[in-house]
Amino acid sequence: MKLLQVKNLKTYFPIRRGLFQHTVGYVQAVDDVSFSLEEGETLGLVGESGCGKTTTGRSVLQLIPPTEGEVWFQGKNIVGLSEKGLKPIRRNMQIVFQDPYGSMNPRMTIRAIVEEGLIVQNEGNARERYEKVRDVIHKVGLEDSCLDRYPHEFSGGQRQRVCIARALVLNPKFIVLDEPISALDVSIQSQIINLLVKLRGEMGLAFLFISHDLSVVEYLSDRVAVMYLGQIIETAKSSTLYARPAHPYTRALLSSIPTMDAERRQKRILLHGDVPSPVNPPKYCRFCPRCPKAQAICREVPPPLVEIGAGHTVRCHFPEGESNAGEHPC
Amino acid sequence: MKKEKKTRLVSRGYWSETWLRFRRRKLAMIALLFVIFMAMVALLSPVIVGTKPVVCKYQGKIYFPCMGYFNEKWENPIFFQDGIAQRYPVQLKEKDPESWAVFPLWYNDAMRRVTDGEMPGRPGNPTGDEGCPSRMNPFGTTFYGFDVAAIMIHGTRIALLVGFVSTGITAVIGILVGALAGYFGGWVDMLLSRLIELVMCVPTLVLILAFIAVVERPQIWHTMVIIGLTGWPGIARLIRGEFIKLKQSEYVAAAHALGTSQFRIIFRHILPNALAPIVVPISFGIAVAILIETGLSFLGIGASVSSASWGRVLSEGRANLSMWWLTFFPGMTIFLTVLAYNLIGEALQEATDPRLRGRE
Repeated sequence: MKLLQVKNLKTYFPIRRGLFQHTVGYVQAVDDVSFSLEEGETLGLVGESGCGKTTTGRSVLQLIPPTEGEVWFQGKNIVGLSEKGLKPIRRNMQIVFQDPYGSMNPRMTIRAIVEEGLIVQNEGNARERYEKVRDVIHKVGLEDSCLDRYPHEFSGGQRQRVCIARALVLNPKFIVLDEPISALDVSIQSQIINLLVKLRGEMGLAFLFISHDLSVVEYLSDRVAVMYLGQIIETAKSSTLYARPAHPYTRALLSSIPTMDAERRQKRILLHGDVPSPVNPPKYCRFCPRCPKAQAICREVPPPLVEIGAGHTVRCHFPEGESNAGEHPC
Repeated sequence: MKKEKKTRLVSRGYWSETWLRFRRRKLAMIALLFVIFMAMVALLSPVIVGTKPVVCKYQGKIYFPCMGYFNEKWENPIFFQDGIAQRYPVQLKEKDPESWAVFPLWYNDAMRRVTDGEMPGRPGNPTGDEGCPSRMNPFGTTFYGFDVAAIMIHGTRIALLVGFVSTGITAVIGILVGALAGYFGGWVDMLLSRLIELVMCVPTLVLILAFIAVVERPQIWHTMVIIGLTGWPGIARLIRGEFIKLKQSEYVAAAHALGTSQFRIIFRHILPNALAPIVVPISFGIAVAILIETGLSFLGIGASVSSASWGRVLSEGRANLSMWWLTFFPGMTIFLTVLAYNLIGEALQEATDPRLRGRE
């Protein structure tokens, strides 16, 4: 059984106007996203800002109610459940946010912040909770002395450790990491990444790792999904995706990674134009207006998600690479 | 990374940090001490000045007649039955030679003139325009011989009560309405926002005047409630804005992800962070409420016409312009009190301002 299976997830935000706030349109932040996650597996979710990565993460956790679709977590569809029904499920799925400054209540001590999950889930008495908080604080590499301090007394890296501790305290199976390192200094980034790798090994965690830092995603993820304008356009094993990207957008994206390795260095593919508005995305291929190899069919038929190799799917009429030989749609 | 943290031993929460910043401002600290002093005066007013004994023994029992200044019912009815209540020093001994009494520090009354022979060895208060400040009456007396200082001291109770009770009502309603509108949004917000705008349009003073005209025996409580019921829109708006901002914050999302109930999110995660901006309007609100109340009794229409209040002395001063002390002392007191609240409000504004916080 898969730990998490997301099927055709759609999250639209209504645009309201006028005196009576009637809906004039929708921002299609997440439009028909499907993916799955095994226990202990890490799926990287990459894409440029505004493509719906964060909304996807939050919709999976039901922090933003999805408009349509199913999210199967531990064999149960959790879309549409009441908060009461979600409460026991929330123990097993947690989130770490991007901004370690904004994601902790400034009026609470570190101890209260980490303990919150245990309190709301009615776990143990005060003593047991304190022991658990201490354990998890040690696990993320902090000391007892920080327990009675307030968030503003810590550096970004330390705060992110606290946020990770807060997510871990309930012993979850699955954590959404919503750009957990992009707000940190580079030297601190590597510490946090190493911490995440260590915890993943110790606790058997599954991660949905949302990031726009491609090299970090490569290091951390088993599989990678690339998002563009609310849709997943390519999914593959990490090694496959980085070696043989099939979608033109993925290729452009990967070519932007700065590298020291001469073998991997390639000509930078520069995309022209802007990302179309998610309020009114193209009805055909969403990438088509910026695609260097767009053809007539791209402007008429929305490309389906096709499997071009083992676990390698791509949403393009003309996917690249050897793996698609003989499967050309034209 | 961990070692340098050990040098600082004390961790400060938001309010203790604010207090630290507030304390640095001398003027605000003086204002705070003044307000505390006023509160003490209000609380202890029957002990400081009055004609009813603080404690007395009458017919074998101990009584505290001075409580009657707080509430008429707290003065034991036995004193009214025996006709002692108006003239304690002489009457007590007459009715019961065994009795004894401890009088307030200073024998004078805010509600009536002290007459000759009422207290052995003490002349009565002067009447007419002869009551200029003297050793007996440091702030002078009114036209009918009431002691101004006594009225001022007993009037402190009303002034502070009006300030705190009406602002308390304001804060409770404002926080509740603002929190509901901001947190739930949608049509709840739509309805409550219209309500806020509606109440904003109601002029407090006119409503009070209308109320006093209609009600047979207006009491000071009515004024407080009306000031409270009309003053909350400003606070509601601030709280609503804070709630709208904070409910989208990541720590609220994190609490949500942990399974925290809405109730707990509102009261533990959002409210404590939303309170800082209303501390200042609350402090200014107290000053405004005091001004409204004194203004009303100055006009002679306040509910406190029959009780000791600062505004009453002022209105007598208007009728007797040559008696300068009737205008000067209450005027100064009102000025200083309102100034003190405003200074406190201003210092709080700076102490809680996040833009100034980072700088040392």
